[in-house]
Amino acid sequence: MTNYNSITPEIVAKIAQIVGAANVILDEEKLEAYSHDETPKDQFSAMPEVIVTPTSTQQVAEIMKLANELLVPVTPRGAGSGLSGGAIPLHGGILMAFEKMNKVLDIDLQNMMIEVQAGIVTNEINAVVADDGLFFAGYPMSLESCQIGGNIAENAGGGKAIKYGVTERYITGMEVVTPAGEILKIGGKIVKDVSGYDLKRIYIGSEGTLGIVTSATIRLTPLPKAKTDLLVLFPDVQSAIEIVPMIVSQLGIIPTSIEFMDRLAVETSCKYLNEHLDYESCGSMLLIEVDGTTQDQVDGEAEMIGDLCMEHHAIEVYVADNYTTQERVWAVRRNIAEAFKVYSPHQSLEDIVVPIAQIPALTREIAKIAAEFDLSMPSYGHAGDGNLHTTLIKPPDMPLDQWYILEDQVVRRLYEVVMALGGKLSGEHGIGIKRKAYFQEIVDPHELELMRTLKQALDPNNILNPGKIFDLD
Amino acid sequence: MLKIIVPIKQVPETGNVKMDPETGTMVRDGVVSIVNPLDLYSIETALMLKEKYGATVTVLTMGPLNAVKGLKEAIAMGCDDGYILSDRAFAGADTWSTAYALVNAIKRIGDYDLILAGERATDGDTGQVGPNIASGLDIPLATYVRKVNDLDLEHKTITVERSVEEGIETLQLPLPCLLTVVKEISYPRLPTLRGKKKAKTVEIPVLTAEDLGLNREFLGLKGSPTRVVSTKSPKVTRNGQMVTIKDDQDVIEAVDALIAFLEERQLI
Repeated sequence: MTNYNSITPEIVAKIAQIVGAANVILDEEKLEAYSHDETPKDQFSAMPEVIVTPTSTQQVAEIMKLANELLVPVTPRGAGSGLSGGAIPLHGGILMAFEKMNKVLDIDLQNMMIEVQAGIVTNEINAVVADDGLFFAGYPMSLESCQIGGNIAENAGGGKAIKYGVTERYITGMEVVTPAGEILKIGGKIVKDVSGYDLKRIYIGSEGTLGIVTSATIRLTPLPKAKTDLLVLFPDVQSAIEIVPMIVSQLGIIPTSIEFMDRLAVETSCKYLNEHLDYESCGSMLLIEVDGTTQDQVDGEAEMIGDLCMEHHAIEVYVADNYTTQERVWAVRRNIAEAFKVYSPHQSLEDIVVPIAQIPALTREIAKIAAEFDLSMPSYGHAGDGNLHTTLIKPPDMPLDQWYILEDQVVRRLYEVVMALGGKLSGEHGIGIKRKAYFQEIVDPHELELMRTLKQALDPNNILNPGKIFDLD
Repeated sequence: MLKIIVPIKQVPETGNVKMDPETGTMVRDGVVSIVNPLDLYSIETALMLKEKYGATVTVLTMGPLNAVKGLKEAIAMGCDDGYILSDRAFAGADTWSTAYALVNAIKRIGDYDLILAGERATDGDTGQVGPNIASGLDIPLATYVRKVNDLDLEHKTITVERSVEEGIETLQLPLPCLLTVVKEISYPRLPTLRGKKKAKTVEIPVLTAEDLGLNREFLGLKGSPTRVVSTKSPKVTRNGQMVTIKDDQDVIEAVDALIAFLEERQLI
């Protein structure tokens, strides 16, 4: 275990020399705001000793050199919208926030590429290229608040991954500051590159433990000209889940999204939104989106999917083919997590992922676990890519200490089931600190050893985002 | 069987609306049209009455031919058929001229018991066309209807609640009559796939000025007594009042001041 040095006034002065006093924050209230992310605060938080908001890659590199020299931990942070505690400064030290590095550096329409700094809000990228009929297709659900640097660190994905994949598919180049403070430029505006190891992939999804991405070149995709959504009501969970692999395998259609919501998730979100969907008659819902170049093509595909659902026990198929109605149905899906927080702020939002064909078996097992522990466990998420956000909700009257014990037992059982089905603990949120203990127990020891070797090779002093994903000893 | 007519309007979808900074008007190029969101409540009211009492529901709109999409959306929700008034001569019509054309179209469609309109359209925001139609047809009218209490088919009356400034008014109207409804009345249902398929097969008759034998002097921009002389964006100036609280006594005074402020404006 590394013995880190505390931040002293002398160190603060050195930091201020690099980034300027205006980019150094010591205010207690502000430090608190940077001490947690979107995981429950009373379970996962740690105070930084100082926050720096660099304005250039050079400053980031200088800070890293200083941190190495003084043995001070550095935790990079995007918008703090993470769901695994990845940006929490577990060992105090310097928290490096990127909100001031939020510029578009280059828009290259001929190559359909954009180069941006790490702190740009992801939806800003879509906004600046929308008029050119383009978008960044790998964005996560939190696109209106999250930053691209955080997306890359977590290899974030979202509701459209079944068709468009996740962040890594679109990152063709990046500028990275290594833990030692060297500046690396990897890749570029190229769509193919096997010139040596694909170093981009080392950093994408590394949860900010191997290097700090300060800017990225992103491949853009033509915006679909038409899209139609189907909101399909099923009598139970199984009939909805069983249809998911059939849409692709039987119809040969790859939808943009197949989102699953069980009855509890829909009901809680509808009550929160004062939305009056006919949820009382159903056991679960699928929200399926198809997009394409013409409305006729898209409507035709939507109709084929709707017919398939009706042939397989669907109660009703609603169609949303205009912006207003689409926003109405998507609001139900997008607000589920928020709605459950209002019901009970203490919960464990899981991110399990299994092979797509195992989703029916997974939901059956989840129902068994919920019954066994007498716990409310709504499931919703990206059924189309096998990724479910099963959530453990603390009963409002259960004492916290009792809840933490129960939560641990249920999560362990859930992960056992997931692993037995050939799955993994996290599809898009990451391990961070939230899942670290479980990950270390479950992952293949050789795989874990290789990850540790990589971390030690790139960050021998263990100063960059220490204590995330796994411990070194 | 009860016959209900629902006049609806296609309006620009305002979710991604952009304003021209120089003219202060909306950029309409590439803006998608949707059914006026407030008309979804009159459609829903008609469909609820259809489910409860049995009815045929006819939707009617005036606009370019692509406004048929809105009629088909209404049919996909459960309406039975639709008509579109489409003619270059209608272009630029104000609320009076629009109502003149719609009144004559309704007369052509034939018998009806009830006309249900939205409170207003989200683009023009006047709320005049519904009442204008009632006036043109010389039938009773209730605006701002928030609830249908009863429909007596034997005595041909409808009892409704309407929102007025000081509370709620309960009215009984003889049929046929026209109601404009507000959001409180219902939650609009979503169109279904079955409905969409049905809507594809429903032929929408197109009615022109000539078909209806309309007086050309009353049509379009030329026939409209209203003129938009100029438009400008209002300057929003919010003069917030800051109340500084130093101790417990200040809190009480601040709360009292807030209550007085809200009471003065009849907000509580």
